[in-house]
Formats: sequence, structure tokens, C-alpha cells
Amino acid sequence: MKKIFTLLLVLTMVLSLAACGSKKDTTDADTTDATTTDTETTDTETKDADTTDETVEATDGEASKITIWAWDPNFNIAIMEAAKEIYAKDNPDVEIEIVDYAKGDLEQKLHTMLASGMTDGLPDIVLIEDYNSQKYLQSYPGSFADLTDKFDYTEFADYKVGLMTLDSKIYGVPFDSGVSGLFYRSDYLEEAGYSASDLENITWDQFIEIGEKVFEVTGHQMMATDPNDGGLMRIMLNGAGSWYFDADGNATIANNEALAEAVRVYRDMVNSPMTKITSGWGEWVGAINSGEVASITTGVWITGSVKAEASQKGLWAVAPTPKLTVSGAVNASNLGGSSWYVLSSSENVDTAVDFLNKNFTNSDFYQQILVDRGAVGSYLPAASGDAYANEDEFFGGQVVFGDFAKWMDEIPSLNYGLFTYEADSAILSVMPGVYEGGSIEEAMMAAEEQVKNLIN
Amino acid sequence: MKSIFISKKERRKALVGGSFVAIAFVLACVFAIYPIINSLILSTTSGRGVVTEFVGLGNVKRIFNDTVFKTALKNTFIFFVFQVPIMLTLALFIASLLNDRTLKFKGLYRTAIFLPCVTSLVAYSILFKSMFSSDGIVNQLLLFTGMIDVPIAWLRDAFWAKVTVVIAITWRWTGYNMIFYLAGLQNIDPCIYEASEIDGASKTKQFFAITIPLLKPVILFTSIMSTIGTLQLFDEVVNLTGGGASSPSLNATLTLTQYIFDLSFKFVPNFGYAATVSYVIVFFTAILAILQFRVAGDDRG
Amino acid sequence: MIVVKLRSFVRYSFLNIAAFVSIFPFVWMIIGATNSATDITRGKFTLGTELINNFKMLNEMVDLPRLFGNSAKIALGGMVLQLFVASLAGYGFEIYRNKISEKVYTVLLLTMMVPFAALMIPLFKLFAGFNMLDNYIAVILPTLAMPFMIFFFRQNTKTFPIELLQAARVDGLNEFQIFFRIYMPTMKATYAAAGILSFMTFWNSYLWPLIVIQSDDKQTLTLAISSLSSAYFPEYGVIMVAIVIATAPTLLIFFLLQKYFVAGMLGSIK
Repeated sequence: MKKIFTLLLVLTMVLSLAACGSKKDTTDADTTDATTTDTETTDTETKDADTTDETVEATDGEASKITIWAWDPNFNIAIMEAAKEIYAKDNPDVEIEIVDYAKGDLEQKLHTMLASGMTDGLPDIVLIEDYNSQKYLQSYPGSFADLTDKFDYTEFADYKVGLMTLDSKIYGVPFDSGVSGLFYRSDYLEEAGYSASDLENITWDQFIEIGEKVFEVTGHQMMATDPNDGGLMRIMLNGAGSWYFDADGNATIANNEALAEAVRVYRDMVNSPMTKITSGWGEWVGAINSGEVASITTGVWITGSVKAEASQKGLWAVAPTPKLTVSGAVNASNLGGSSWYVLSSSENVDTAVDFLNKNFTNSDFYQQILVDRGAVGSYLPAASGDAYANEDEFFGGQVVFGDFAKWMDEIPSLNYGLFTYEADSAILSVMPGVYEGGSIEEAMMAAEEQVKNLIN
Repeated sequence: MKSIFISKKERRKALVGGSFVAIAFVLACVFAIYPIINSLILSTTSGRGVVTEFVGLGNVKRIFNDTVFKTALKNTFIFFVFQVPIMLTLALFIASLLNDRTLKFKGLYRTAIFLPCVTSLVAYSILFKSMFSSDGIVNQLLLFTGMIDVPIAWLRDAFWAKVTVVIAITWRWTGYNMIFYLAGLQNIDPCIYEASEIDGASKTKQFFAITIPLLKPVILFTSIMSTIGTLQLFDEVVNLTGGGASSPSLNATLTLTQYIFDLSFKFVPNFGYAATVSYVIVFFTAILAILQFRVAGDDRG
Repeated sequence: MIVVKLRSFVRYSFLNIAAFVSIFPFVWMIIGATNSATDITRGKFTLGTELINNFKMLNEMVDLPRLFGNSAKIALGGMVLQLFVASLAGYGFEIYRNKISEKVYTVLLLTMMVPFAALMIPLFKLFAGFNMLDNYIAVILPTLAMPFMIFFFRQNTKTFPIELLQAARVDGLNEFQIFFRIYMPTMKATYAAAGILSFMTFWNSYLWPLIVIQSDDKQTLTLAISSLSSAYFPEYGVIMVAIVIATAPTLLIFFLLQKYFVAGMLGSIK
């Protein structure tokens, strides 16, 4: 017994020393939290000591500190780090801490904290996916800072501003756009006899036709998709100016021509030999990186992943998103995208707003993140910047981001409403029946029933 | 005179015992009992996020009409019915194989089979996810050995996804139950077996007539623990087949606990309704536990 | 003779398959740690050369020593405290059995049936109300009185010889002295087994630390792995290295205390 305890004690001490002596990571912000963790010991209850340290932390109005929560170290986090560096030059007394969480984890934490009404520990700035904004705004009224008068919202893409507005007040700072495009292998398409102009402003049915020809001639499947992922359907729907819900929040799943069309097209795609069935992000991206699949239609944020395979340089191009054969559909759509929100519980709202202003209404900043991370912002003036006019070699000299900026302007503005995930879930649950040839009409009715169940 | 004497002793016993148990008791009251009561109260409310109203038994009524709930219930039970018996039988079988004194490398086998229990959930789901993907190693091996012609969609197909989850859970927990059975088996006096052998009983007969009845308490214990675990199944389905915590859960493997999570963090949060669903789990767990006690025929104590 | 040989063959084959299946993912994990992300998604099954590279990248992406230290603090601290609380309680319930304590014990065990999902938010509000978020005590506290652990100790206490207890009383030791000086040393194996289980529970814990820990520098290894794996383009090679590092301590502790583990589990069955 003694031996084990001594062993444990030694282990504890060694590990505590290791933790105390950990290098100050250059990417993490320097925080004074480091000293408080060191005072915690593992074999005595130092509850009192801890709480006093905590309260000192909370009430001490140290020279402004802002905490930012976001996900994805290669994209959002990296961009915030860049913003932090720029801001630090002129504002050295502001401490900025950027915390990286898995997207799902971040959402969970945010919900838990907002639901419990506890504001200690909430960040000052948080990244929220656009499909979720109304959900947070309406579920936790008053939790987010009203930014209506702090930014000039005419400078941001219309569709972005709409989704962060509640009762005529605007709450967020639009960030990356999920403007979509049809990324394709120009070499495979050429082999099958198609040039860039053949892909301009096509419909989805035409896309399937082209895809099947490409598969026939080149042996490469045209696209990859996961039948359990509704992303592509959302692109189709958005591009048709329609959504799962109408402007008043009523479910428009059952009698929705655009949605029925989207479902039909998606079914045809999934059942077509030109489509490779994948599961999960890794496989999906792997399909294009390996050169197996000829195209991928999704948000512009995929650019980084497409470019990851350097050997494919010069072989890619981007065409406008295909559209559904319904009136009002356009060749532009959106998938995903998120925005920054300021928590009203923050003690440094003004500093946070200033930080966001200095970077996210700065055209040069957007050029930088475009070049470094492939991030297409929704700040309209940025589109006339240099980086956006760049001829990208990877895409055969195409002015890719100029095109994306143009399409972004055309995206139909929609209110995503609160219940995107519920609708997604309901529709995906009836899709297996559709894939097997079941009636789309019936499936959509069943889905609408289910959504009504989920909406309280 | 005698009765007061006894009660005084009893009382002192209780007091001393109480002081041992005190810390745990207080902790349990604060961190288990209190939240349970709190969430029971929560289950009488409904709404969006913090904007809620009192609905009394309204949530219970809603459950009866909820198609998603019914799917989750069905899935959870399918997992329970298939996974628990398979795993426990496997564990028992392996344990009895290992209980042989003549077996070589016993320690190695035992360690190897228990190893999966040591992994963290996050870690092993990532591993399994990459192993069971369409291009993953499992499909590659199966294709290579000619057992299948076309890659199986382990993580996507309604049927195979369930199979994958069952495989994952079984992989992770069989060793754990095996150790319990092994311990139980080693408690059985070998003389009993010798005696029955003299009487001419075959190994199989011995197994069913001696081993199983003597192991009843252990089997009951592992059965109830596994029941609780499987009815509350969440981690595996979310990380393996659920698309992660921020995309729609795969309907084919949606479990009750996963539904509770969706109701709290994916959909517009309705914490009251979520709490109600969690008590459905408690309800079924209790019933199944009682049933198992009855079947076993004696009290676990 | 043939039958015996056949039976032996079947037995060993079965065990070999079981062992292989059990270990295979670990092998996969190690192989993955030496390959690049793209190779892993293609299912490459041979050792690569990316180990050093992956490790370097991991160190750049996260503060590895700190994460490891945090997880260690929680796991070790939690384990020591949990062993203390649970063994006291298990011993108490068993040795001083009475009608009331039996009822309390049953209620305690029943709480295991309530899924954590139901308790999360009330628990969170509780800690937030006392301003006790974002420290390790908050992470450990709710799990200290884990019913399973108490059960485990109680069962094992049944094997504790009454004679020792009585002899100690005759020698004039009070009840607490008996516990610390006689019970604890005698039940080494039980403590070892429970220790392993306890350490594993804390080391691998995910959900509660996720909610309670706020600051970046208090994150645990498990949480970091989760956040690495949910990037738009996860660096699988790096994640595999992280998993190897995360799994190593539990493996090590298990290997070291194995003998005790089985002995301890044995005691819990009697």
C-alpha cells in the first residue's frame, strides 16, 4: 500500500512540475490563469483557495481582456489570430485570448451556459453558424449585444444581415460566406468533350447528364456525396429562393415545389452511377484529392481542401452553381457560413466592438485572409481588392474569388429561421424511402409531420 | 431492559456507520439527488431556451405522439436486445476458456482482451470511424479475402450502421465483463467439477448445470450494468454514426439519449421536454432491472 | 486424442481471434500515427515516416505538456479522492449494516439509472451559482460519490475477515483507526483494481469537463483530441499521435497493476 501511494505521490509531483514548466505556447494568448492552475494541488481540497483566486480573476478589471471562442484551427482560429496580431500593434494593452473548440462542443457549452443564466465564463466574442443564429437569438433573448448602430451594415451582403436581425435590431458581424460554386476538373471535363462555357448557368438535370457522360468517357465519377447529408439539397433549395420555412416560420416542406424538385434531383444523383457514395468529411474530400472524382459543388470554404492536393494544380476550374428547374431559381447559392456575435454579458463590449471593427470592416484584412486561408468574407467593399482580382494558377488562371464575390451578390436572401436542424433531420429520415423509389410527395408530408412534432 | 440495550447498540452502530458514509452521502445528495429533483421539475416546463412556461404533464402527452421519439425508442431497444446478450455470452465464453489451468499465455490473452476497455471514448470512435469507412481497412480486408464483392457502407446504411455500433460496443466492453466472469469462475471450487466428472457429467452439462447457476449473481450484476449502459447509449452513436455533435443524427441509430442531446443542443433547445425523455429512460431501466431480478430469482444484496 | 487436439486447436484459435480483434485498433492507431492525413483516409496500412512530423505539428497546434499535465491532475486527484470517499462509504455500508443504511444504499444505486444528460444542466447551474466553474474541483466533485465505486468497495469488503476486525477492537483501536490501519493495507488489491477503474474514468472523461472547463489553459487531452478531430480538414496523423499519447498512461497503469487488478476484481464477486 505504501509503495503504491508513494508511487502515486511521486507521479503527481512529477506531472505537476511538468505542467508548471510547460512552455508558453506562442499561439496561445498569455494569460494570468497560468499561475492559478499551478497553485492547485492534487491531494488536498483547496476549494477555498481556488474560489478566492477565481473571484479575484473575475472582478479584477485588468487592462481590457477579450475572450473569443471559435472552431477550426486552420480557418476561423487562424483568421482570428491574424486579426489579433493586427490589433495588438495599435492596442498593446488589450489582452486577447482565442479558444479553440470542436464546433459541436462549442455549441453545447454555449447552450449550457446561456440556459443556466450564468454569465461568468462566457466569452466576449463567439462564432455562430448562420443556420443557428436565430435559434440563439430567440432562445436566449438579451444575451447578445445589439450592434445596430455600431457598424455600417449596408457594407455587408444583404443575406447575411437578414439572418442576424431580430425585431429590427442587428446582432452580429457577418463573417465568412458559404457562397457556393461548382468546382470541377477541367481536364476530365475536356476529355468528355465539355468546355467551361458548357457549365455556365446550367440546371441540375443538365449537370446529371454531363456527369453521366463524363463517367462514361473518362471512367471518373462526376461527384461524391453522402446520402445522409443534406448539404447539397440545401444548396439547391437556397438557390431557388426557397427554404424549409416561409418568412413567417411556417413549415413549407410538404407543398414546396422547389424542395420536391431538390429531393427528386438529389435522389437521381444518389442513384446514378456517376455519383460516388461516401460517408463523412474525410472520405468526401479524399475523393477529390485522390483524383477519383471530377467535381464537388459546395461552399467556397472547400477551396483550401481542394488546393491541398498540390499535384492537381492547373487542373481545376469553378463554374456557377447549377440551378433547379423552378421559376425564380438562380445560379448562385450558399452553404454554411458563420458570423461573430458579442455577448451582452461581456465586460468589454466596446473593446470587442472596436476589435471587430478594426479588422472586419477593413478591406485589406479581407485580402489577407483570402490569400492565406481562402476565406471569402461578406464585406462588399473587399471584393474590389487586389486579392479578389488575382488569377489563380491552381484554377487555370481563373479569377476565382472575383467570380465568387460576384455570385455572392446574387444569392437569394432568406431567413433560415430557427428550425433548420429539425427540418434537416426530418427530411433525412424519409430520404431512404425516396431513394428506393417511394413517392416524394408522401415522404415530404411525413417529413413535415415530423418537423411539426419537433417544433414546440 | 434487554430491548433498550439492543437499541442503544444498534444506534451506536448506525452512528459510526453513518460517519463513514457521511461524505459520500452528502456528495450524492448534492450532486445526484438534487439535480434529479431539479430536472424532474424542469420536465414540467416547455419552451425555447430560457423562454419557458409551465405545462405540467404536457410533455408526457407530447411523447406519445412524437414519431422521432418512437424511432429512438425502437432503436434503443434493438441495441439492447442484440448487444447485451451477444456481449455477455461472448464474455462468459471467453472467461470459461481462460479459466483453464492448462491454458498457455493466459495472462496475455486476458490482457489483450481487456485492453479495449482502457481507451477513451473519443479516441476509439475516431479509430473505428476511420477503420469502418467505405475505403477503410475493414472493407479492404474483407475485399482482399474475397468475403465481399462490394464495400459495405458500415457507417451509412441503416442496417450496417446498427451492426457497426454493436460491434464497437462489444469490442469495448466484452473484456470488462469477461474479467468479472473470470473472477467469479475462479471462485468456484474445482472439487465440485471433479465430483460431477466422477458422476459422468460432460463438460457441456457441467457448464450449464454447475457453472451458470453458481455464477448467477455475477451474471445478474453484469446484465443490469449492461442494461443501464445500453439504454443510455449515446457516445458511440454520436461519434461513430451520428455525424458528430453538430450535424443531423443518423436516424437509423438514433438513441433516446441522443435524442435528448439533440433536443438540448442541436434543435431549438427545449430542456423541459428533454428532461421528460430522460425519465422515460429511467422508467424502462427500472422495469428491465426488476424483470431481470425476477428472472434470476434472488435478490442481489 | 484427435478430439482433444481439435478442441485445443479450436480453443486457441478462438482466443487468438479475440485477442487479434481486441488489439487490432491499437495497431491501427500506431500505424496511423506514422502516416500523413491523406494516407490515412486512403486506408494505408503500412508504417510511414511521418511520425516526427506529426508530433511536431501536434506540438505546434496544442500545448501538449500542459494538456497532459491537466489530464493527469484531474485523473490522479480524482482517483485518490474517489478511492478515499468510496472505500469509506463501501466499508461503512457493509460493516455497519442496518435497516436505514440499506435503504440509503439502494437509493444511491438507483441514481445510476438516471442518464447524465438529465443532470447536466442542473449540475452546471449549481456550480455556476457558487462561482465554482473552471477549476478542477468542479470537474472531480460530482463523480466522487460514484455509486458503482461504492458498490465495488462494499462487495469487496465482504471478503474482509471479521476476525481481524474483532481482534482490533479487542486491542482497543477505535473504528476509524481500524479502517486506516487494518482495512486499507489488507485490501491492497481492491484499491489497486478500483484505482485503475477510477483513473480511467477521470482520464477519459469528456462531457462534464467540456462543460465546466472554460479557460484554454485548463483543457484536458481528451477535449483537445475532440477539437482537433472536428476541424474542416482534420489532421488525422496528428490526431493519431495525440491518441497514442492519451492512451499510453492508462495502458501503462494497467500493465503495472495488472496482478492486483484481477485479484481486486476477484474480491468483488464473493
